Amino acid sequence: MYGKKKTKITRLDIILLLTLLVGVVFIVYRVTVGLNYKWNWGAMVQYIVRYDTETKRYVPNLLLEGLFTTIRLSFWGTILAIIFGMVMGFFRISTSLFKRMVGRSYVEMIRNMPPLVFIFIFYFFISDQIMPVLGVDNFIRSASPGTQKFFGIILASPELFAATVSALISLGIFEGAYITEIVRAGIQSIERGQWEASYTLGFSKYQQMRYVILPQAIQRILPPLAGQFISLIKDSAIVSVISVQELSFQGTQIMAATYYTIEIWTFVAALYLIMTLSCSLAVERLEIYMARSR
Amino acid sequence: MQGQTAREFIIEVDKINKEFPGGVRALVDFSTQVRKGEVLVVIGPSGSGKSTFLRCLNGLEEIDSGSIVIDGIPLDDNRKHRLEIRKEVGMVFQLFNLFPHLTVVENINLAQKLVRKKTKEEAAEMTMSLLKKVGIPEKANNYPSHLSGGQQQRVAIARALALMPKVMLFDEATSALDPEMIGEVLDVMKTLAREGMTMVVVTHEMGFAREVSDRVIFMDGGRIVEEGTVEHFFTNPQEERTKLFLSQIL
Repeated sequence: MYGKKKTKITRLDIILLLTLLVGVVFIVYRVTVGLNYKWNWGAMVQYIVRYDTETKRYVPNLLLEGLFTTIRLSFWGTILAIIFGMVMGFFRISTSLFKRMVGRSYVEMIRNMPPLVFIFIFYFFISDQIMPVLGVDNFIRSASPGTQKFFGIILASPELFAATVSALISLGIFEGAYITEIVRAGIQSIERGQWEASYTLGFSKYQQMRYVILPQAIQRILPPLAGQFISLIKDSAIVSVISVQELSFQGTQIMAATYYTIEIWTFVAALYLIMTLSCSLAVERLEIYMARSR
Repeated sequence: MQGQTAREFIIEVDKINKEFPGGVRALVDFSTQVRKGEVLVVIGPSGSGKSTFLRCLNGLEEIDSGSIVIDGIPLDDNRKHRLEIRKEVGMVFQLFNLFPHLTVVENINLAQKLVRKKTKEEAAEMTMSLLKKVGIPEKANNYPSHLSGGQQQRVAIARALALMPKVMLFDEATSALDPEMIGEVLDVMKTLAREGMTMVVVTHEMGFAREVSDRVIFMDGGRIVEEGTVEHFFTNPQEERTKLFLSQIL
């Protein structure tokens, strides 16, 4: 920036801060007294971890299990979305009219639909038809206990396997549409001069992409791509409507049983915040690192 | 097809036409021939079609009609022909167009390996000798962003020369440079000219033209308005448009 800016705290800052504090106190007061809400943070702990009498250890309970499911969904969902996004991204800039049309239709259809509607359509119409064909259920049920355990850790236990795979594919398709645009924009942002210079040097289209265009495009695609990962973490809450037991689903279940609404949702929100915030910070470091090696 | 007898002309352009969308006629029945070793300088106001003419020579722009033959190879729909021509014709751009994610040597090595199929060692040898030739061997491992404009352009020239082309095209190679750096790039171009490279140079640098060019073409509206030696242009321009243009750049 221009010159060194000294951090000054003005009167306006103090006024705003006080207003904020008053606002928070007011809300808490209204909830406690007005809604006659019985705060019970202590009771929450049992839903986070519980003491298993068999193994004599603390094991994760519903909320933590939901968190792990959300993390798995986000991770694999992003990988799927990147695959869809890259393929469709290339389609969108292809010389083939057919490929361009397919890519464009894919993006426009998905982006113009609310995520909730898409999940329902996918689950009830498509997933019901595709899953038996893919044999996902048969695969996991006939797998050895070792394989089942392995998949249980990285994805889901056998009972929940098909539903989780379904949720994954729908998340991948949905977020993939946004990644398609990120990939397309990244490639198209490379100045024409790079294409012209490599063409003049006799490169083939593949050589142009592989050695000149893509290495530069990937640097531009990475930051918005990471932002899309953060988006996906939040969007994964949508699959709770098809009974995939991720974090938000567990939140609704516990709330229905115990009515500890505010404690539960505050905790759930905090967990999402921790996940997305840590990703945001990691992305920031990534961007700084990439800007430095120029 | 390509005879073994020495061709008289290495570039043969016959009545080419090019119209851009919107009705702009960039080239109108344009014809010229360039001999091997000739240095042809093309001057003219902006929009005269001189850059378009250059870019048609290696296929960057498509002509609507007419024919172009480079070293006996016709520039047509045959992909092999087009690839051969691109290998034999090197181009230097106004904005350098170096690959920013590669170092200087990597920039110059890449096409040698991919297009001329050279080994790492062969390419490296050629690269270093070219860097010495253009005068910046010490910048070998720098990235383009650490180089001045004049140095970048000299790297661009080396990169084009690395493929050992028969023809070099220069599209306003010094127009984007600060005045103090124009000289170093022109020096490299003059050396090339004196070594016998066939060059087609779009430029405003009449001093350069005076020193090394064999022929100058003045273009306007997609056509050749006047043609001759440099001296002719300096001492005895015929057309009104030529005189007007020269008065503006000299």
